[in-house]
Amino acid sequence: MATRDDERLELLQGTLDMLILRTLQWGRQHGHGIGQAIRAQSDDLLKVETGSLYPALHRLVKRGWLKWEWDQSEANQRAKYYRLTAAGKAQLLREQNRWSQLVNAIGRILNAAPTSKE
Amino acid sequence: MGPGNDELDDEIRGHLAISIKQRIERGEDPESARLAALREFGNVALTREAVRRVWRPLWIEHAAALRRDLRFALRALVRVKGMAATVIVTLALGIGANAAIFSVVRGVLLRPLVNRDEDRLIYIRQSRPDVENMTFSVPEIDDLRARVKSVSAFGDFSTLDFTLIGLGSEPRSIKSGVVSGTFFEVMGLRPVLGRLLDRRDDGPNAQGAAVLTYRFWTTSLNSDPTVVGRKIRLGPSPATIVGVLEPSVPYPADTEIIANIVTSPHHLGATMSKGRTHRMTELFGRLAPDASVESARAELTAVHAGMMREHPEAYSTKQRTQLTVARLRDQIAAPARTVLLVLLLTAAVVFVIACSNVANLILARSVRREGELAVRAALGAGAGALRRTLLAESLVLCGAGAVLGIALSKPLVAMIGQYAARFSVRALDVSVDATVLWVGAGLAIAAAILLAFVPRLPSSHAPTGLGLSSGSVRITPGANRRLRLFATTQIACSFVLLAGASMLLTTLVTTQTAKTGYANMSRVLAIDVPSEALGVPLKNSSTFFREAARRITELPGVETASFGNVVPWRDAGPLGGNATFTAEGYTPADGEEAPRGRVRTAGPRFFAALGISLLAGREFTDDERDPVAIVSQSLAQRMFQNGDALNRHIAWGDPMNPTPTQRRIVGVVADVDDENMVRQAAMTIYAPSSPMLGYGGRLFVRTSADPYSLVPAVTRVVRTLAPDQSLERAATLDDVRAEVLSPDRVNALVFSGFAGIALLIAVVGVASVLAFSVSARTREFGVRLAVGSAPSQLVWRVVSEGLAIAAVGIASGAAGGWALARITARFVENVHLPGALPVAGAAIILVVAAVAASMMPAVRASRVDVLQALRSE
Repeated sequence: MATRDDERLELLQGTLDMLILRTLQWGRQHGHGIGQAIRAQSDDLLKVETGSLYPALHRLVKRGWLKWEWDQSEANQRAKYYRLTAAGKAQLLREQNRWSQLVNAIGRILNAAPTSKE
Repeated sequence: MGPGNDELDDEIRGHLAISIKQRIERGEDPESARLAALREFGNVALTREAVRRVWRPLWIEHAAALRRDLRFALRALVRVKGMAATVIVTLALGIGANAAIFSVVRGVLLRPLVNRDEDRLIYIRQSRPDVENMTFSVPEIDDLRARVKSVSAFGDFSTLDFTLIGLGSEPRSIKSGVVSGTFFEVMGLRPVLGRLLDRRDDGPNAQGAAVLTYRFWTTSLNSDPTVVGRKIRLGPSPATIVGVLEPSVPYPADTEIIANIVTSPHHLGATMSKGRTHRMTELFGRLAPDASVESARAELTAVHAGMMREHPEAYSTKQRTQLTVARLRDQIAAPARTVLLVLLLTAAVVFVIACSNVANLILARSVRREGELAVRAALGAGAGALRRTLLAESLVLCGAGAVLGIALSKPLVAMIGQYAARFSVRALDVSVDATVLWVGAGLAIAAAILLAFVPRLPSSHAPTGLGLSSGSVRITPGANRRLRLFATTQIACSFVLLAGASMLLTTLVTTQTAKTGYANMSRVLAIDVPSEALGVPLKNSSTFFREAARRITELPGVETASFGNVVPWRDAGPLGGNATFTAEGYTPADGEEAPRGRVRTAGPRFFAALGISLLAGREFTDDERDPVAIVSQSLAQRMFQNGDALNRHIAWGDPMNPTPTQRRIVGVVADVDDENMVRQAAMTIYAPSSPMLGYGGRLFVRTSADPYSLVPAVTRVVRTLAPDQSLERAATLDDVRAEVLSPDRVNALVFSGFAGIALLIAVVGVASVLAFSVSARTREFGVRLAVGSAPSQLVWRVVSEGLAIAAVGIASGAAGGWALARITARFVENVHLPGALPVAGAAIILVVAAVAASMMPAVRASRVDVLQALRSE
């Protein structure tokens, strides 16, 4: 069911989208590179499946946050390079804000002093 | 848009190449690096599909989902064939009836006429409380024409019966119109062949000219293009056919020929042109450019009032003569309006019944599948997805219903068109068009959406655990209430229809079983012998008819033959004369009006021929020298002491004979009523002959053989006496009565049909509600039986539930029907509430149906296996 799929991806997608945007903050990169960067920067804790990565990339392009260009890759093969657009930069800022608020809020709950039991 | 397939493949290939290169640089050998890269990438096809889906427009997603849902719905419905078939047929009946009636309503009431600027055409009518349409006389029309400014032109039309000679072999009587030269111009009609009548055809010195109507030209003359210029004879006058009229609504009468004034000697006579009370012309008008219907109405009424002041002798002092003005289109549709609106209302009620029944079935089904829906909700299906599944199902059902309904509506339109044609000629031209499709589709979609929202979705707040695990039926109070509500609605609607139908049936039965006073009506043949044209009497009419009757009596198989001027029921109204009379020895009390009676002509042996019993005295003979009369029993009893009327004298006014003759009463006969279908005591006077006979008489032949087999022989006898005489409408009295009754019969049939459908649907509805309620309460009944309830108690319990539904339904139906009648009475004249008997009949039928419908589930409840029931949950 389309609706159900969308809903489920939404959760994962939110974070993945943010991570992709963040990775591209410093310049253009191809799909493989983005996946590796996320993995490396998270000390191998986050592993992005290509089955999720590529749909996410295309979705971001569709929303106008990324654009792509073709170029010769280090493997001497044509590769697609993704780059942030201005709208994408703004989106990244928004998502980072939201994310830190969320982390902050959850953190407060988890670190709160235990309430006294009756 | 998104990337092409090649581009996507390139991207993936690029990804793999980089991955492989990095692995080789880390020291893996090329082959294992390739395999590892592929493994790491995962399913290429899936990724590709996922990316492609990102780019697909949203509606394709939804359409695909809907298609999946529809397929699923089809599979699900095939499993419940019976329920699906019931729903589809029920909806088809509702949709078909509505679509058909709506097309007829549109065709008759809403479609514009073909006439040029038809919305500026008006029909002007003169009426009195006792005469619905008095028509106009020539002096009246001349006055209006001279004084009214808001009507730019008047057209006049009088209906006549001519004997037509020259088209076809036999002389025959045809209905024709006589018009002045302005008529066609006012009506805004065009010829399809030749020309129409205009101002050069006016006046007594013009050549006789006639225009054929389109229907007559196409049906009787096979659209013969050489017909223009043909010479014919209309009664005594020669005429030339000058053209053929375009297809148009035949109003005021369905004529075959329209001729100019010179063809009708009567129109040239002094009676016609000078007699202010000699009214026989219908009047049409075209509004002046700056006038509206309202302003024309105001002016016409004012001028008419002035006319009445100037000529008080021409208008009744007792009853007010009125002038009404209506758009021609509305005038033509007016008689059909009531019947069509009632039909439309009926169809709407049937649709409501159909929908609530279908809602019932669907609700019951959805309660049964609450388990399934709960499982799907638990697996993550959103409310939208569940609704869509339900919508898909109801779409399949309603779509199928609509298709079947539209197929059904085609014959229905033809049927209803035929039926409505008796009220408005326009109904004959109604055909199935796109309207049916739109109405059908609209109703189906409305029903589908409605039905999808009937079932309750499993709520995330209510615990569904039990339903989930067992997948069994758990009836909730809410669902049960709704089921009952729908069933009650059906009963209420059916009750309204049943009461209406039984009212019509009661009337029909009353008229059909009524005693007529005529004996052996199937043996009496009645034949019209019209005069050639109005105003030209048959020569020596009394002698002619007496001689004809005498010769016909001699034919083999004939018992008696006679003549008169009125065929019972068929000629009721204008031809049956009414007159005030004086009876010897009877003085009206002060302020009492002089008695009125029907005056009829009766030839010798008239009462024997018609089978009316002679109570005293004798019949008329061939040779009456003195002025004599025969009276009916009720006249004898009311006017003479002890009903002793013989040899007393009676006298009445006669339009042709202003000084009444005192006539001796020679006979008293049993009462008959030749005007009303249900006999009422009518004071009737019979006279042996009348000058009026010359304007058309009626032959009556009582036979011992098949009456219709005698028609050729009778025709031959008449033609030997008068070669060009036409004979029309031969029919037995039985058939005349049946024909006059046929509108009532069709009315009763149509409404009984609707009511029958409604009853059937309602019975199915009640039965299914109770059956469902019983099957959902197996456990309850098991417990009841286990603790000692008698099975008969359970039967009564379920039946009483059915009765409760029926009672509430009947009560609300009665209230609703009464309110509906009150509301319609505001817009439509002649709304009658059915009497007590039909209402009681309808109620009894419904109660019996409700008991019958609840019996089956009730018996099932009483036979619940206790152990099984207790184990079932």
